[in-house]
Amino acid sequence: MSKAGLAQFQQVFIEESLEGLDTMESSLLALDDGGDGELVHTIFRAAHSIKGGAATFGFPEMSSFTHEAESLLDEVRSGKRAIDGSIIELLLRTVDCLRGMFARAQAGEPLNDAVAEGLRNELAAAMGRGIPAGGVQARRAEDQADAWTVRFRPHPGMLASGNDPLRLIRELAGLGELRATPEFDRLPATLAGLEPSECHLGWTITLRGPVKRADIAAVFDWVEDECDLAIEAQHVVAKPAEAPIATAPVAAAANVADAGAARAQREAGAESSSVRVSIDKIDGLINLVGELVITQSMLDTFRGEYDATRVAMLEQGLAQLARHTRELQETVMGIRMLPIASVFNRFPRMVRDISQKLGKQVKLELVGEQTELDKTVLEKIGDPMVHLVRNAIDHGLETPDKRRAAGKSDLGTLKLEASHRGGNIVVEVSDDGAGLNRDAIVAKAVQRGLIASGEGLSDEAVADLIFQPGFSTAAVTTDLSGRGVGMDVVRRNVADLGGTVTIRSTQGKGSAFTITLPLTLAIIDGLTAAVGGERYIVPLVSIVESVQLKPEAVRSVAGGELFRFRGEYLPVIRLHDAFGCDNAIRAIDQGLMVVVEGDGSRVGLFVDGLIGQQQAVVKSLEANYRRVQGVSGATILADGSVALIVDIAGLVRLQGRRKAA
Amino acid sequence: MPATADKHSEDATGRGESRSMGKATAQGKGESEARVIALPPDFRLAELAAVKAELLEALEAPAVNIDGAAVERVDTAALQLLVAFRRESTARGQSPAWHGVSTVMRDAASLLGLAQVLELPAPMPA
Amino acid sequence: MAKILAVDDSASMRGMVAFTLRGAGHDVSEAENGQLALDQARGSRYDLVLADVNMPVMDGLSMVRELRTMPEYKGVPILMLTTESHTDKKMEGKAAGATGWLVKPFDPEQLLATVKRVLG
Repeated sequence: MSKAGLAQFQQVFIEESLEGLDTMESSLLALDDGGDGELVHTIFRAAHSIKGGAATFGFPEMSSFTHEAESLLDEVRSGKRAIDGSIIELLLRTVDCLRGMFARAQAGEPLNDAVAEGLRNELAAAMGRGIPAGGVQARRAEDQADAWTVRFRPHPGMLASGNDPLRLIRELAGLGELRATPEFDRLPATLAGLEPSECHLGWTITLRGPVKRADIAAVFDWVEDECDLAIEAQHVVAKPAEAPIATAPVAAAANVADAGAARAQREAGAESSSVRVSIDKIDGLINLVGELVITQSMLDTFRGEYDATRVAMLEQGLAQLARHTRELQETVMGIRMLPIASVFNRFPRMVRDISQKLGKQVKLELVGEQTELDKTVLEKIGDPMVHLVRNAIDHGLETPDKRRAAGKSDLGTLKLEASHRGGNIVVEVSDDGAGLNRDAIVAKAVQRGLIASGEGLSDEAVADLIFQPGFSTAAVTTDLSGRGVGMDVVRRNVADLGGTVTIRSTQGKGSAFTITLPLTLAIIDGLTAAVGGERYIVPLVSIVESVQLKPEAVRSVAGGELFRFRGEYLPVIRLHDAFGCDNAIRAIDQGLMVVVEGDGSRVGLFVDGLIGQQQAVVKSLEANYRRVQGVSGATILADGSVALIVDIAGLVRLQGRRKAA
Repeated sequence: MPATADKHSEDATGRGESRSMGKATAQGKGESEARVIALPPDFRLAELAAVKAELLEALEAPAVNIDGAAVERVDTAALQLLVAFRRESTARGQSPAWHGVSTVMRDAASLLGLAQVLELPAPMPA
Repeated sequence: MAKILAVDDSASMRGMVAFTLRGAGHDVSEAENGQLALDQARGSRYDLVLADVNMPVMDGLSMVRELRTMPEYKGVPILMLTTESHTDKKMEGKAAGATGWLVKPFDPEQLLATVKRVLG
């Protein structure tokens, strides 16, 4: 079989190993919190699987490395060694190191680095011994002879273990010219007295040919405890002891294959492009397709005969078709849906590390880990969440003495909560820390020139300032939050996923950041807006309100038009101008102003009118045409015509640039 | 589970008509016709309890023939059972004859050095 | 061609085993733990079972013990896929009723050679 055939499993191996590492990490952390012994088994199993697969799939370095960790775990598991903080620490670093190795494997880089080497030594030292010798094994000299006598008496139980003497003797026959003489002395005298599953025969076997003793012994390697065996040479030919044999060529070949697979992986793109689907989901799909086929054949019977008496049946068929289509859609979407647990799981470790570094005591609560969301969304939500969590520990939660002074317990609470709300996923990162400091934010915003003064600004508006580009509330830039990314990046990342971020904060009580995301990127809920002869889809999630304005409500200013909405002046974007539509309504009082929010600011979209709400299946313009500014995709309407989906954040940025120009 | 099988393979001796699968059928005890034990295609450990029961019953018959033409898979345990049967059967004066022996069975018996004690007939020319 | 059941909680390992054996013309079923393997074994007669040792829900050793209590699995070869090269682990498998073992890591050629060996 070709090595190329194996490459497909190499990727699966990497994916499941990364999951295994997550499991190891969370179990180690739970163990650190006084978890039970079952966790040790879980950890051991994960390490064991990685070790076993690593060598098979061409990562021998990883295998030998994991072997050390596994040996350590084995001692813990068997009670030979008590687990303590230092071992957990060591194993946690091992997890990190392995993650690094997998990353390098995917990038096609050499797996071992100084960290791995150092850690391997530490693990070996923890086991109380030096680095084990490499893959070089000494072999003892092998006897060779031209003829052998093998006395083989299976124990009665050998047959039941699946070891058939027939197979063994046939194998021996492959080595040379064989003659077996059976012995019946143990066979019961009567048929009735014979238990068929027990072996009562024995053999004396002569084997002729230049055969090594080791080759004969190898035939019996599985049964050495299940038989009496004597291997005697008839003519011994002494051979000098052979030099130790190294297994280097095998390892080298594996490395070549592994580099090829890693290259293929790089070409496949950074994010993993496969989804593991449970059999249940697939069975559900097969079921539905079956139903569809039945409905289709039922509808087929109407072909050409639209008899009025059968209208009811036709209607029933169509209703069935609609239901199955909807279910099929939901199920197919469900395949891309994965629990958010895989993202949540990286936080216990991170929270532990950061809080230790900052001398804060933090209890992490995870709620709704089984909430499922689209794989694409899942892969992209991690970074914004990491930022929010870092931020919460760094800026939100106080040190124990400050908390005590404020009358709170030493232990701060950080809560990650995911839930489904309507057609959206809501992920909330909340803490019971100090909350946002209005004065500090205003002062900083003034200093940065974002605002002239805080006067007249609502708390909401002030809180919103932290999402402005270039804003940082930390008095000192720490290495935790201050990596040149601010909350503006969080908001933009979330906006790219079609979502929004909002803050609730009470000074002294804590803050909550709420990320609202669409369940999937493949289907959006939108309002269909008419502009001239065209129709556009405005994502429902961005819509605040739609209002009909009097002409005098809109003022022309340099660079555009503004209108007053709830005490704020919002810029107007006329969709017919933005997209160049002819025959559109231009008079303000005859059209409709749709107030939308995107990229952190609100604007009014001026359209002819709204036609209705609908679900739109997003078709990529980039994939089918090219990227168009202000448009996030296209969809096909019920009548077969194409409507473009408005990219609110993109339009707002476009508007900003025009204004600046 | 009785050792039944519907799969017929050509009888090596060309006498497929007398082969009965599963339950050994007594074919006219008084008419000097021997009882025929048909060995199952899968003649291995898991099937032996059933075959053993048949063989025990056959020990009581005046004469027994064994048909191994259908045997596709065989193991040491199966051949050991036949050896034990043959020993007792001969001791009772039955001198059981072979109706057919598949190649698989013949090869296995030869390897284990049991062809002689089982008195397997010489292979038929193809 | 033989009917083979491959039992391993690791999808990659299971996949590799199944892929390799199918390539050699065998009819391979897969199960991801001992319990599921037993369910499958009950409904169907396999010529060979290949099982990992460490698995969640039901490990390989318990699975072998269970299989050996089923009359139709008396004498059916069961190979443990094990990373343990220590003798005591192999013996544990043997004591449970396994036929033999295949030490991980193994490559497809080794797997095929071992399967060929055990199926005769």
